[in-house]
Amino acid sequence: MDRLEIFEPAMCCSSGVCGTNVDQRLVQFTADLDWLKSRGVKVERYNLAQQPDKFVQSEPVKNAMALADDKCLPIILADGRIVAQNTYPDRSTLARLAGLTTE
Amino acid sequence: MLFLSLATRNLFFTGKGGVGKTTISCAAAIHFADRGEKVLLVCTDPASNLDDVLETQVSSVPAPVPGVENLQALNIDPEEAARQYREKVIGPYRGVLPESALTSMEEQLSGACTTEIAAFDEFARLLGSKDISGQFDRIIFDTAPTGHTLRLLQLPSAWDGFIESNTSGTSCLGPLSGLDAQHQVYKNAIHFLQDGEASTLVLVCRPDEASLSEAARTSAELAELGINNQQIAINGIFYAEPGDDSTARSLSAQHKNALAACPDALRQLPRSELPLLPFAPLGIDRLRQVFAGTPAPTASAQTPAKSLALPPDFQELCKNLAAGNSGVIMTMGKGGVGKTTLATKIALYLAAEGHKVHLATTDPAAHLDFSLGEKNSRLQVSRIDPAEEVENYTAKVMQEAGSQLDDDGRRLLEEDLRSPCTEEIAVFRAFAALVDQGSKQFVVLDTAPTGHTLLLLDAAQSYHREVAKKTGQLPDSINQLLPRLRDDSFTKIIIVTLAETTPVQEALLLAGDLKRAGIKPFAWVINQSLLPLSIANPLLAGKQAQEYSQVEKILARSAPQPVFLEAWQPVARGF
Repeated sequence: MDRLEIFEPAMCCSSGVCGTNVDQRLVQFTADLDWLKSRGVKVERYNLAQQPDKFVQSEPVKNAMALADDKCLPIILADGRIVAQNTYPDRSTLARLAGLTTE
Repeated sequence: MLFLSLATRNLFFTGKGGVGKTTISCAAAIHFADRGEKVLLVCTDPASNLDDVLETQVSSVPAPVPGVENLQALNIDPEEAARQYREKVIGPYRGVLPESALTSMEEQLSGACTTEIAAFDEFARLLGSKDISGQFDRIIFDTAPTGHTLRLLQLPSAWDGFIESNTSGTSCLGPLSGLDAQHQVYKNAIHFLQDGEASTLVLVCRPDEASLSEAARTSAELAELGINNQQIAINGIFYAEPGDDSTARSLSAQHKNALAACPDALRQLPRSELPLLPFAPLGIDRLRQVFAGTPAPTASAQTPAKSLALPPDFQELCKNLAAGNSGVIMTMGKGGVGKTTLATKIALYLAAEGHKVHLATTDPAAHLDFSLGEKNSRLQVSRIDPAEEVENYTAKVMQEAGSQLDDDGRRLLEEDLRSPCTEEIAVFRAFAALVDQGSKQFVVLDTAPTGHTLLLLDAAQSYHREVAKKTGQLPDSINQLLPRLRDDSFTKIIIVTLAETTPVQEALLLAGDLKRAGIKPFAWVINQSLLPLSIANPLLAGKQAQEYSQVEKILARSAPQPVFLEAWQPVARGF
């Protein structure tokens, strides 16, 4: 698999450290994506508040949003196909989606 | 004036609100324009009173100032800049993306950081643009209050390093990523300030100890940023004449002592001293007299009939407050009006009446006397130190969230926590925790200058909306914050002002902003007033007479909230 694209809801930032409390889920997800990258997976992350153009340019994402507004976010595309919606998968799921195995 | 004779092409005036930056920068701009130079005057104060000073409407594009040939002026309003920035990002997607997506984008772009960045963006664009700045022989900047200015200056250099070292691509740069292409423009703006051949930074302050040490701090911080071509302008010095009354003598002595105790760091800077003016520097004609030396007070500075009954003494307010048992008391107002002094007086009064009191400041430049707490067991004194809060918060997050991550994950998290947002959040949490204490005892807070205070309140509000959405566990103190600030039996807000044009206007603006946030002040205090004093010196008597119209204005606009008056005094009154 060549690349994983993540389309996230509008956020101040995607690291999970902004807001009145740290979002543990996002902190973990950020670390997991970093882990994927270190294993050669090309990962792109788009934030609706910062890169709305990417959401409009992607047909699957645009169509999903037309149906369910931004409630379908985050959307994960693997090689341009939707593989997950409205969820942040854990490391092993991400690895499977990317065709890797966890150690 | 050395800042006129030793001037570079660009002149920046910096200092706390109320020190006279607007007056001096307008007078300097007129001075150069009158010499035949093409001058651009740039104001970046969110609570600008430029319109009153120049007696013309100043907008976001350079426009000629009536009555002064060769002078153009413009104002960068941070709120308006933020609005335009939001529109630039969201506008193209209206009708393309679903409505709820647009709403959530808008909400995420309404934070404090967007305002700061958008304002700096305007500032940098102006500095970097040859089209605009190239048309002028000289550019004069009336910058925002010190803390805000420093932040604007510090942000890009911090981010310079941040962008280069962040390789994860997820960087927590908030709205800045939308402006990534502007990176070079920001760099240029900083270089522009650092270039001593082109730019001079004039630290403006008052002849009092607090103001001078504030200027010394700013000077050091600027030097750290590589901005070394600095000067100092000490504004409003009063010299008593032989045989003057006691008020005149003690004011004069106070100024003289403060100047004698001037911090060493400031002594090395080229210095200009401006005498106390016997007139309000509003309008072009008056501005032309600012550097002309003090003209003898004219007979027209007569004392008006004292038909106006003065507001009750500040002590009466303390008495009212002491009738309760707990709650939060906040003194609010622009920098330099004496918020910290009044907060301290209130706290001391409450403690003397037998109440348990926590006195705290969120103003990084405040001078609280921390030894007070040692002398009185009922009084606790503390300060919200942003650097310390960030450190504590980072440690807490690393311990809680970081413990479940591997080494790489922890490194990444640590890097994300270095973002500028972290400070806002850390300080906000500390603020909420203090307000929370008010359910059991008295908490007296002197808040930071207006802009910052409102950012805190604004942040409180947007965080409040965020709270409903997030699943993360939040301290109860944060959930309770805004409802408590709005509850006038729990939080008593005291608006502090001086009986001078700019501070009164700022106080009225502040009250308006609070009203929009659903917050009603408990009382107003006119601080450092000359009105209750008997004064013979003609210059001070003229100044005293000028106070009447300001007091009338406050009484008319504050009703039905009560107004109290605290007389000017050489040293803080103890209880």
